[in-house]
Amino acid sequence: MQVDQALVEVSHLIQEPIVLALLVLVFGLLLGLAIGRINKRILTAAGIGDAVEGTAFERTARSIGTSTVALIARVTSWFIYGVTILTAIHISGLFDAPAFWVRVAEFAPRLLIAVLVVIAGFILADKAELAVSERLKDIKLPEIGILPLVVKYSVLYIALLIALGQVGVNTTALLVLLTVYVFGVVLIGGLAFKDFLASAAAGMYLLLNHPYGIGDEVRIGDRQGIVQEMTLMTTRIENDHEEYILPNRLVFEHGIARMRN
Amino acid sequence: MSDVSELFEDLFVGADGIMLFSPSSSYYQAFADLEDTDVIVAGQENEHGADSFVELPLAFEDIAEQLTFAIEGALDDGLVEEGDELLCGAKLFDEDDVDTVARVRASEGENSGVYDLFTQSRAEPSVIRSVFEVAIELGQKGQKGKPVGALFVVGDAGKVMNKSRPLSYNPFEKSHVHVGDPIVTVMLKEFSRLDGAFVISDSGKIVSAYRYLEPAAEGVDIPKGLGARHMAAGAITRDTNATAIVLSESDGLVRAFKGGELILEIDPENY
Repeated sequence: MQVDQALVEVSHLIQEPIVLALLVLVFGLLLGLAIGRINKRILTAAGIGDAVEGTAFERTARSIGTSTVALIARVTSWFIYGVTILTAIHISGLFDAPAFWVRVAEFAPRLLIAVLVVIAGFILADKAELAVSERLKDIKLPEIGILPLVVKYSVLYIALLIALGQVGVNTTALLVLLTVYVFGVVLIGGLAFKDFLASAAAGMYLLLNHPYGIGDEVRIGDRQGIVQEMTLMTTRIENDHEEYILPNRLVFEHGIARMRN
Repeated sequence: MSDVSELFEDLFVGADGIMLFSPSSSYYQAFADLEDTDVIVAGQENEHGADSFVELPLAFEDIAEQLTFAIEGALDDGLVEEGDELLCGAKLFDEDDVDTVARVRASEGENSGVYDLFTQSRAEPSVIRSVFEVAIELGQKGQKGKPVGALFVVGDAGKVMNKSRPLSYNPFEKSHVHVGDPIVTVMLKEFSRLDGAFVISDSGKIVSAYRYLEPAAEGVDIPKGLGARHMAAGAITRDTNATAIVLSESDGLVRAFKGGELILEIDPENY
């Protein structure tokens, strides 16, 4: 009899908006904490921690006593906390401004994605910079240092554009700038690499089909000699006096004459 | 009473330069700030970005060989001059830091051409190094436990191909493998039981196996007692600009020929 009464009282209590809101709040906070932990585990297991090692973003994160993985995990936790608090406020009915809260609730996920995109953009930009400068390490030319930076800021620019688009800022002007930039890169790159592409395509054929090999005596155009080396881009032929390094597209332009002795 | 540093003073006074063998970063930095003494770094890689650097192509076991090679390299590159006294800091027992100092006089006289073999050959130094590594490994382990012989002709592949003929089908026909690729060592080992020479291009591409070399052999001066394989190696390097690396089947030594002469002789067991 007493138990029944207690149960009824409890169920009445739960019906109270303020109690319900508190329950949601506790549950939400626990969920946020758990998701944050699980997220951290998954990210660590996926090797994100090692992948971002050495990037500027990771170093900044370390200097403020955290790490990229912890930061991403915390952002998701905060997101869940935020949604929880909003829901709790809504249920408790303390503030009655539904239109405003609905908009906030709509906006929150986009903000989360924007933050994640910015973080990913920073890491990607650092990684790209590292990769490019690693490739160019052997070239001892001071001006070459500008190339990794250009790559880095291009990646950052695109990431920021995506993030701004997510949170609804008008990005038309920035998009136009990006289009002009990409168009310029493609045009100049296309012009500059025209011969490279032609040589590489011809080289692909030569390497696959071997119309001539190392040791054969050939004539390409007016150059004659023994083939010393064949690569994707060039063919090296050598006679007693001279060594020619011919782009493979010339092989296709002039054709190959194989010498028979 | 004299203390230790006084007794060892003779070793250090009046040295013209210092040569460090694969020093750790902090160790090198301490030396790099020296004002009036040149510091030369020798090692497999120039990891500290030192201005004066001599590349060691092999991991020498014998310290004396290592010093001789590095000094020869420094002489060749003009980092030191004939008659300079060098303090060489090397690792004899300690794996991590320099524990041995030797005072060595740089002299042109004993220039054996070993350093030239790597840096002045037609083929890239890394290619020659990779071939050496394969030959040494083959010498240590043999083919299925039995000693094998092998002949690698590196560089100037076009001419070498013209001065040789195939003994059988070329297993590397239309393939694009390079020495130094991980799987290739195993392939080379397997094919080493075939007779004939391997031909390797300047950039390290394996052009052919199973080649019978047909150079003109007159005027080739190699030590008596070496067999047909060594004679062929010496002769082909005289006729072309190639370098030949031979693993002897009978005594297990690895020898390198260039310009028709025996340049380097090493025992695989020491590496």
